[in-house]
Amino acid sequence: MRVHVVREGETARLFVSGCDAIDNANAPEVKAEALRLLGEASDVVVDLSGVDFLDSAGVGVLVGLFKNARLRGGRARFCGLTPGVRSVLELIQLDRIFEIYDDVATAARS
Amino acid sequence: MSGNKRNYTARVEAGETLPDLAELCRIHEIGLDLIDRSHDLDELLDRVLEEYQTRLATLPSDALDARSGAPQPESVRKLRGLVMFATQAAALKEKAMAALELKRRAAMLEDSNGRLVKALDEAERSHARLDGVLSALSSGVMIFDARGACLKANAAARTLAGTEDDAALARLIDGGVPKDGEAEIDLPGPGGVRRTLLVSRRAMVGDPGSAVVLLTDVTERNRAVEERVRLEKLAEVLKTLSVLSHKINNPLTALLGRAQILQAQKTGDPSVAKAAAVIEEASLRIADLIRELAQVVKDGRQDAVDDLLDMSSPTPAPGGRR
Repeated sequence: MRVHVVREGETARLFVSGCDAIDNANAPEVKAEALRLLGEASDVVVDLSGVDFLDSAGVGVLVGLFKNARLRGGRARFCGLTPGVRSVLELIQLDRIFEIYDDVATAARS
Repeated sequence: MSGNKRNYTARVEAGETLPDLAELCRIHEIGLDLIDRSHDLDELLDRVLEEYQTRLATLPSDALDARSGAPQPESVRKLRGLVMFATQAAALKEKAMAALELKRRAAMLEDSNGRLVKALDEAERSHARLDGVLSALSSGVMIFDARGACLKANAAARTLAGTEDDAALARLIDGGVPKDGEAEIDLPGPGGVRRTLLVSRRAMVGDPGSAVVLLTDVTERNRAVEERVRLEKLAEVLKTLSVLSHKINNPLTALLGRAQILQAQKTGDPSVAKAAAVIEEASLRIADLIRELAQVVKDGRQDAVDDLLDMSSPTPAPGGRR
């Protein structure tokens, strides 16, 4: 598993690769690495195109990133949702709580 | 809806156990709390995220894991509780966002309404100032729209045009005054004295087709111009008369002197004596005329010049000949 953060102007784009899922097994590591790399960034785009599945721990990571950006006075947007990730977020209605966009470009523009 | 979603929903709906009463009460309490906080989207989201984190932390991994087999009844019960909470949280968040948007629009409307009221006040003040300026002007000012209707005319314009009727004011310039040009119009004035108005018409900047028209009474100005021309002509006539009288006077003096010498010589020829007398009489008349001319030049009066011109009409020659 690897977490990448690319800064594009004011926006930090976060991308997870090397694993199909964010689950109980890697969620603490993903969250810790993501928060470390994001640092003080408050405008975050989380690209989930490399993630096929989330369990409750994985969803907890996304909620944590969303909350962290809000605490810093910014916002986190999610994009590139795979069907597996989308169905989980829809089931627990987080698609109505989060800001979700089709792709990175649209999310960055919004 | 994706296959996965149907799968999850079916798992929630076909749970083996009903949420227990305590969980329902808990969710109800959270719902009331969220309603209390829904006036502030940030506060609402903070509470919602906190509840999500709490519930996700205690949600067994198999509750959302489609890869595993059938979830445990406890997992289904907890997932059902999470979905019930999430449904009302999402609905409240959307309502709070809609309320926020309404509030934002209301603020924008209030702001733009404030600006509009301010602009209207300013326009009203500008209008009042314009009215004040127009009223103070001694020249007539009229404003016409693109169809030629009179929109505004100051008191001076109505006085000069001799009418209060806007249609009559419009007719005043209709056809007689070129666009972006000027013309003089004669109007009957009080007591039958005709007056001359200079009418200047200019297009109004920023309002295509409309025009501003200035009316100026140039009766006195024209009269002054005519008087100046008359005085210039009179001065020329007087100057000419002065030169003429001076030039005539010298030969006339010689002529009169010779006639008087001839009369004094007593030649014995009665025809010479008579001719000398006629020359003397004519010379004296010319001398009188020249004196009158000199007096006219000295007085510089038009009527005197006119009288003189009347007098200078052909006069019968001495002895009845011309």
